[in-house]
Amino acid sequence: MIVAAIALNTFKEAVRDKILYVLFAFGVMMILVSRAIGWVSFGGSEKIMADVGLAAIWIFSGMVSIFIGTGLIYKEIDKRTIYTILSKPAERWQFIAGKYFGLVITTLVNLVLLSSAFLAYLWFSGVPVTLGLLQALYLTLIEMMVVTAVAIFFSSASTPILSAIFTTVIFFVGQLTKWVVELGSTMKMSAPWVEKLLYAVYLFLPNLHNFNIRDKAVLAGDALAVSGSELVLVTVYGLAYASAVLLMSHLIFSRRNF
Amino acid sequence: MVNGSDLAIKTSNLHMTYNPGLFARKKHALKGLNMEVPPKTIFGFLGHNGAGKTSTIKILVGLQFCTEGQAWIMGGDVRDSKTRRHVGFMPENPYFYEYLTARETLDFYGRLSHLDRETRRRRTSELLAQFSLEHAADVPMREFSKGMRQRLGLAQAIMHQPPVVILDEPMSGLDPLGRRDVRNIILSLRDAGQTVFFSSHILSDVEEICDRVCVLNQGSKVAEGPISSLLTGKVLEVKLAASGIPAAGIEEVRKLAVRCWHDGALYHVIVDTEEKAQAAKSRIEAAGGILRVIQPHRESLEEYFVRVTDGGAGDGSVIVKDKPAEVHA
Repeated sequence: MIVAAIALNTFKEAVRDKILYVLFAFGVMMILVSRAIGWVSFGGSEKIMADVGLAAIWIFSGMVSIFIGTGLIYKEIDKRTIYTILSKPAERWQFIAGKYFGLVITTLVNLVLLSSAFLAYLWFSGVPVTLGLLQALYLTLIEMMVVTAVAIFFSSASTPILSAIFTTVIFFVGQLTKWVVELGSTMKMSAPWVEKLLYAVYLFLPNLHNFNIRDKAVLAGDALAVSGSELVLVTVYGLAYASAVLLMSHLIFSRRNF
Repeated sequence: MVNGSDLAIKTSNLHMTYNPGLFARKKHALKGLNMEVPPKTIFGFLGHNGAGKTSTIKILVGLQFCTEGQAWIMGGDVRDSKTRRHVGFMPENPYFYEYLTARETLDFYGRLSHLDRETRRRRTSELLAQFSLEHAADVPMREFSKGMRQRLGLAQAIMHQPPVVILDEPMSGLDPLGRRDVRNIILSLRDAGQTVFFSSHILSDVEEICDRVCVLNQGSKVAEGPISSLLTGKVLEVKLAASGIPAAGIEEVRKLAVRCWHDGALYHVIVDTEEKAQAAKSRIEAAGGILRVIQPHRESLEEYFVRVTDGGAGDGSVIVKDKPAEVHA
């Protein structure tokens, strides 16, 4: 009940934040201009529309998670609203979980609205809406659950600006972790410790590339972009990573004095 | 009882040390505070800025963790979140979510206090009426005045009808009418059987409504007990005013005075003991003057506070300046 109350309040707070509408408007605009990009590009304009639309949804969902998420906990401490919450019979983990789920609901609503606009636009433009596209949108949501957990983690320990920088770095570096391992393996002979270090970095950072099936979805046509078992595996990875990060946030937060 | 289950609040050897950083000295906000707050009383918690009042309050409501010692509320360890079901808390200058209305705010805090929907709805209506906020029930918090916020802060603290209510500077920044409202609310809570523990710098209010007080100085307790025991009734000075005293008589009276002055037809004299006041009275009457006023001035809580805290100075050790100050009921 407490987690739900805090989550609902966080959602209300986000919905009243102008930044959400600005990002949503930009997202819709990007989806709409995808057709124009298709006209001036080589290759099928239908594929470009789907490609640009999926990328727009991904980037603007990421921005919602980062820009709203990184200020969530800090704002509660800075504005001292946390005093009247933690002095109630609420556990500190419930506060972290409530903030997290509130932002996940916000991201979900934003993603559903952007996706609806995107799919409707494709449909009206005569581009087929495939299961592959839905799979890509689903994995974008799971990716945002990971990014939101990272944003909450930094927000519970740092200022919004630093948190936004760290989370943005992880958001983009997380797309490249596969290459971190490959880079390590090229250095196996000359500096074996570098390989181990890079592998540790690979394990520590979220492998957000796992969630990126956008190209596959565009190229798959009527087929599935990934198999059902792959989808489950990636979902389990995302939820496990987000849970681990939230647990770390709780460990920091549970020892803090306010 | 070790955990003070028969008390509303108990602290035992409570220490709080802040570590400001690698090269800065540690700050000892609390140095072994032992305090007992009986149930159904209004308890004033006094001290200068930085004396350790807010640290103590934050430990009691779970916002901070003490570095040593223990504290209990209604017999429950304050580190246990279940104990906070027995506590209502209003921080100094309470902050709320600006986008929520007063009704939504109370409902939100009701949910955090495990109240069911029906109870929340009933209590919200009751409290909005009790705190004269019915007209602003659906107004967002950003449009609330300081006094309205303070009243809503009190309302959220007692939403779940806790036996113990802790208020940090509840009169801070309020105008005289706002202070009167808060005083009346505190008195009504005590009358309803709740314990009110509050910190304040406005000592006249504390003296007026508190049953007991605890005075902190630099992290240590310097006095605790019922106000009637702490304020001994000792006369600090006596003010006399007389008319028609001839010049020779004035000279005689002046010898006893700490301060004296003319104000039109009246001659004012301040003496520092009751004996000197009697002597002055005799000399005025013997000289043919007419005594108009004789007014003893007894020690107020403010003067007591300044005396026991050395005006905020001292090394912070527990110095019991006055034996009756340690009287425990």
